[in-house]
Amino acid sequence: MKAFAIMLRHGLRQLLGWRRVAGLGLLMLVPVVVTLAVVGDLGDAAALRRFHEAPFATLMLVALPVVALILGAAALGDERRDQTLSFLLVRPLKREAIVGAKLLSGWLATVLLVGGGAALSGLVMGLSAGRGDVLVPLLVAVAISTLGYASIFVLLGYVTGRAVLYGLAYVFIWESGITGAVDALATVSLWRIGLSAYVDMVPESRPQLRDVLGNLTPGVWGAAAKVVVIAVLAVAIGGLLLRHRDAT
Amino acid sequence: MTTPAFAADATIEVRAVSKWFGQKVAVSDVSCSFGPGVTGLLGPNGAGKTTLLRMVCGLLEPSDGEVLVLGENLRRRPGGYRNLALVPEEDAVYGFLTTREFVRYAAVLSGLGGAAEADAAIEAVELQDAADRPISGFSKGMRQRAKVAAALVGSPGVLILDEPLNGTDPVQRARLIALFRRLGDEGHTVVVSSHVLAEVERTAGRVLAIVDGKLAAAGDVAAIRRAMTNIPYRVRIEVEDPRRLAAALAGDEDVSSIGVDGRLLHVETTDLPALGRRLPAAARSLDLTVRLFEPEDESLESVFRYLVRRR
Repeated sequence: MKAFAIMLRHGLRQLLGWRRVAGLGLLMLVPVVVTLAVVGDLGDAAALRRFHEAPFATLMLVALPVVALILGAAALGDERRDQTLSFLLVRPLKREAIVGAKLLSGWLATVLLVGGGAALSGLVMGLSAGRGDVLVPLLVAVAISTLGYASIFVLLGYVTGRAVLYGLAYVFIWESGITGAVDALATVSLWRIGLSAYVDMVPESRPQLRDVLGNLTPGVWGAAAKVVVIAVLAVAIGGLLLRHRDAT
Repeated sequence: MTTPAFAADATIEVRAVSKWFGQKVAVSDVSCSFGPGVTGLLGPNGAGKTTLLRMVCGLLEPSDGEVLVLGENLRRRPGGYRNLALVPEEDAVYGFLTTREFVRYAAVLSGLGGAAEADAAIEAVELQDAADRPISGFSKGMRQRAKVAAALVGSPGVLILDEPLNGTDPVQRARLIALFRRLGDEGHTVVVSSHVLAEVERTAGRVLAIVDGKLAAAGDVAAIRRAMTNIPYRVRIEVEDPRRLAAALAGDEDVSSIGVDGRLLHVETTDLPALGRRLPAAARSLDLTVRLFEPEDESLESVFRYLVRRR
């Protein structure tokens, strides 16, 4: 437990270097600025609609996956790039514990940054449109989707040095394009899994977001369970990879 | 087994191990063992030392053969890492940590308490004064010592040190060598790789030489030295009239061949110091001025290749 905690702590420090935080923090300001620009002094129902059209989409479709990609891929990818992976591997640790700590640090770092941007957007909604009730659902959706993304990107960062490139293709071609075009694929779209939790917690959003959800049923616990399963699978696969691949 | 490649009380057993990466064979059918004390793993850059050590540490899976550390295959039983520590060749340190944090990190990951063991290891490499400074600001030599401290924590029975003296200054080198020898004397299995014969000679009592992925020689340092002194050396000598000098040197029994190329004389000898002593007198007697006297292939690589060919 102590080993897991120290890997988590140092993993967070490794990921949250000031340059990375500054760059990704600026990216996370985009949805906040968009919220400020589009919500204005609209009434609460109109403001909620506008919020879903632009700031919410910017947050969930662009900022969240990009931040999750960069931090998730770096969680094990930085260890591989900096050749410090051997420092972890020559310890009497279960390989799953190493992957688990790295995944958790990637996820927490992403939640911190994306959650910060989401919280600011929620505050803007509360202060300018009286819709502060979106804040918690927004944070829940962010936490759920980022766990799914972090699970995928931690593995990607370990297996390839081009994780960001492949990850961007995944985000913008698969997540934004293909899973949106084919209804049946919505269940494997990570941002839509988070969206299904949000829609469950903000019932007013259902008519507007029903089409985007595809065949997904709104529900917080179902969404949370899905990403937890994805994370557990990622840890198991990562453990197998660490055990069987050469650490070059 | 009692051949020079095998230690009497082996803690590390390398059994017919090969490793290839695609078409490239990095290690080819190496069998040897390591036991308590310091063993030097000597070989030129690219010889396969690091690949062999990474297989010993379970970081690489052998393509063929098997490596056991204290009877266990570490890739299948990571629990065995309690008794093994590695100082890798690469700069495997976390720049954002201080030395103390880095060594404590190693201690906690190895299942130890942390603070006391870490402080003792830092003291062993004499980094106390820099213990609370971030490693990112360290020189190469200090980073090496931080890595050694992280490996020493918890006093593991088997220490694998891959080029641990790289980047260290002469004083640091002498202290680290003394530390490695002390650990060997205390009964730890210490494997130190290097491409510098003099370093290995000062550190290890027993040496394995590896070249082109093969075990080229094994034994005590004196035996390796003896093998190396019989190697024919090639030197080039520049004089105004090389043919006259060639005629004068041709009678020497240590000179095995002489060739002339313009003003250059290419001489192969099995006793380089004797040639160095004989040459000035020969040149003076012929009233010639030696403008150049240099070895053509004195590099360690050529010495190692000779050992491989000789096997």
